[in-house]
Amino acid sequence: MTTSAPNTAVSYPSPSVVAQPTIRATAVSKHYGNTHALNGIDLEVLSGEILGLVGHNGAGKSTLMRVLAGRERADAGTVRFRDLPGGHAWTGPSAEAAGVRMVHQELALCSDLTVTENAWLSDRRKSGGFGWRRRAERRIVDVLDAVFPGHGIAVIKRAGDLPMAQRQMVEIARALCTETLRLLILDEPTESLGVDTAGQLYAHLRTLTQRGVSVLLISHRMHEVIAHSDRIAVMKDGRVVSVTDAQVTEDELLVAMGGEVRPDAATLDRVVSAEAAGASGDSASRSGTLVAAVANSGGTQFEARSGEIIGLAGLAGQGQEELLQKLWAAGTFSRGTQVSRHRAYVPGDRQTSGILPLWSVAENLTIAASRVISRFGIVSTRRKRELADHWVSALKVLGGAHAPITALSGGNQQKVLIARAFAADAKLVLLDDPFRGVDVATKNELYALMKAEAALGRSIVWYSTENKEMAHCDRVYVFRAGRVVSELRGFTITEERIIADSFDDRTGEIR
Amino acid sequence: MTSSTLTPTLPDTRTRLKVTAAHGSPALLSLVAMVVIFSIAVANQPGILSIPGLTLMLMSAVPLVLATQAQMLIMSVGDIDLGIGYLVGFVTVIAATLLQTSPFVGILVLGTIVIAYAALGLIIQKRNVPSIIVTLGMSFVWLGLGLQFLPTPGGEAPAWLAAIGRWRPDWVPAPLVFILIATLVGWLIVRRSRLGTRMRALGSSPATLEKLGWSLTRTRVLTYLIAAGLIIAAGLMLASQTRSGDINSASNFTLMTIAAVILGGGNFSGGRALPLGATLGAVTLGLITVLLSLINLSSSLQSAAQGLIVLAVLAGRVITERAIRS
Repeated sequence: MTTSAPNTAVSYPSPSVVAQPTIRATAVSKHYGNTHALNGIDLEVLSGEILGLVGHNGAGKSTLMRVLAGRERADAGTVRFRDLPGGHAWTGPSAEAAGVRMVHQELALCSDLTVTENAWLSDRRKSGGFGWRRRAERRIVDVLDAVFPGHGIAVIKRAGDLPMAQRQMVEIARALCTETLRLLILDEPTESLGVDTAGQLYAHLRTLTQRGVSVLLISHRMHEVIAHSDRIAVMKDGRVVSVTDAQVTEDELLVAMGGEVRPDAATLDRVVSAEAAGASGDSASRSGTLVAAVANSGGTQFEARSGEIIGLAGLAGQGQEELLQKLWAAGTFSRGTQVSRHRAYVPGDRQTSGILPLWSVAENLTIAASRVISRFGIVSTRRKRELADHWVSALKVLGGAHAPITALSGGNQQKVLIARAFAADAKLVLLDDPFRGVDVATKNELYALMKAEAALGRSIVWYSTENKEMAHCDRVYVFRAGRVVSELRGFTITEERIIADSFDDRTGEIR
Repeated sequence: MTSSTLTPTLPDTRTRLKVTAAHGSPALLSLVAMVVIFSIAVANQPGILSIPGLTLMLMSAVPLVLATQAQMLIMSVGDIDLGIGYLVGFVTVIAATLLQTSPFVGILVLGTIVIAYAALGLIIQKRNVPSIIVTLGMSFVWLGLGLQFLPTPGGEAPAWLAAIGRWRPDWVPAPLVFILIATLVGWLIVRRSRLGTRMRALGSSPATLEKLGWSLTRTRVLTYLIAAGLIIAAGLMLASQTRSGDINSASNFTLMTIAAVILGGGNFSGGRALPLGATLGAVTLGLITVLLSLINLSSSLQSAAQGLIVLAVLAGRVITERAIRS
């Protein structure tokens, strides 16, 4: 074992020359059909560093990750791990044996198995005959305690019964259930985590790097990448376009990724909406017809009018999803909920409840729009094709209308799901954190789309864990412990205000 | 690992009990139904409350419980076995013919059944054929083979098998012992063993199991192998009670085992397995038959009545599950 001493491995803030690479990809290329996912990647992750990896969706981050983890073979180029000989085939098992662990963006726990059983499945250590269950339980609890003190997860519960944030914590913890960790690949690890737990995770990553472990951190949360990485690699169109130290600003990264500078756009939008609110005051928002209302005992009443984009903010899992569910599932018999009959829903969990994997893009897109494309119950093929083509070109869905939906990258799949909601002639569109793991450029397109659609008289209710996104909303309801605690409008919608309202005034923390 | 956490937050006994109860709650209704049916039966016929009475009442449930445990294993990987009924019948045929006349050949045939089941698992996994089609096809194979060996019910079970059927301890109803053993075996396999964890993972999310480096084929083949063993045990128990062979003696087992698994909290999509629930479901179904004959319902209406009771319990399960979740 040629483990470098922990002291030399700590290279903070800039990488030291002595740190040796844990893994090095040289001229790696990979293509699927006509799509070149990777175009000659040269990248190395040094021992004891956190390397941030940012880029658009479709830039090739996920593919690169799978290649580095041995899940997929590169078409060309080599992947070399520290002490393995050059000719060694880099496969899943050999990567496992070398100590590479990966936390997926799409959560991959067996929902019917308990947390312990899930952890055991991925734990390569010997678990012995009798008493394996106790040992596995002990291992996962030890890791959870170390990484997320006070996590409050009962490890004998089924993974599917846990809230999203806890599932994410389990997913991270089980990747750490190993003795030979050398390289940890994290794909959007904090998308579902609250601020505190994300902080715990990053603190733990630092203790790992001090032991010489390398971390590859992929995230769309720029400020987190900048705050916690030693170096940042920017990917674009299957290439690594720049590798910088972590002294860059968000704007510089966005420019490197080929995106527009978002803060300006956000400010502009806010000014415009503030002006609009100032000019016509409350009457503007009141003028729309009431599309949905939910009585909230003791709290603020929830209301959505046509033409409005309504944000649901607050810490993850404080009742925003329940409200969406209430609006979506409301029927004649649900009390206190009043909602338009025509509504559409975009789920956040696109793999399990979003796409129809066997169908093409066009079929996925038009499934909810039967009211638009059919007459007397008969679907018109021509109108269906036109509708699909319209949305595919409007949203620039790469791959076209006839590609199988599973051939698309995550961001493009998400575009299709959002287009599906708008293609259906729905008065009320419900978005359940739809931009998880979607790149900035796509997000900007979709924000514009939402504004345009709202201007046409739709009402959009949008739950997001990204507080910055809330600047695009006309009104924002902040949730805490299952209740609406405040309603912000116009220029009062700021990140600081949302964060302040998200926490209990008296104790300053949740539960 | 770190000094900040001195005591690991392993779940305490109270949490354990609570979570276990929550996991097992789908089987609760089956328990209630069983108690109700049993009480009605006792009210009608107080003689049941004796060792011989209980023995008679529970006897028919023993093969059903064993077959249900097998069905539960297969359903836990997300498959359904539509061949169980005729296979149990075929085993009784083998027991009443070959096992009596030439025991060695008989055991060889039973061994072939196990291997055939392993092959089924292999085909279902490798060729991606729905298990319903494969096992339905096999059910006709079992039927044909059974008719070939024994066209009309008859034959005679070997003495050792009949001895098991005659075993009547005076301190406990014998069927209860068999039922408990069957449940324990099912529980050890599916809930306690590492293979059981993989079985449920296979039913829950095969992609995940594969990504983690486990062989799906191995898991499925082993599941079918063990299930075949349990089905053979069910057939032998049935033969020990009837002391003869009849290919049609258990044809209703196919749907009854599925109903029992569902009654006991299982589901069609796989990933779940509640051995105790499955047993409760099987016993409930067995008791319904006994009760309906006790209250002198005309035999032509018995199947309909049985079906209605099953539907009522299932509807109740849906309602209670919703109540528990909210």
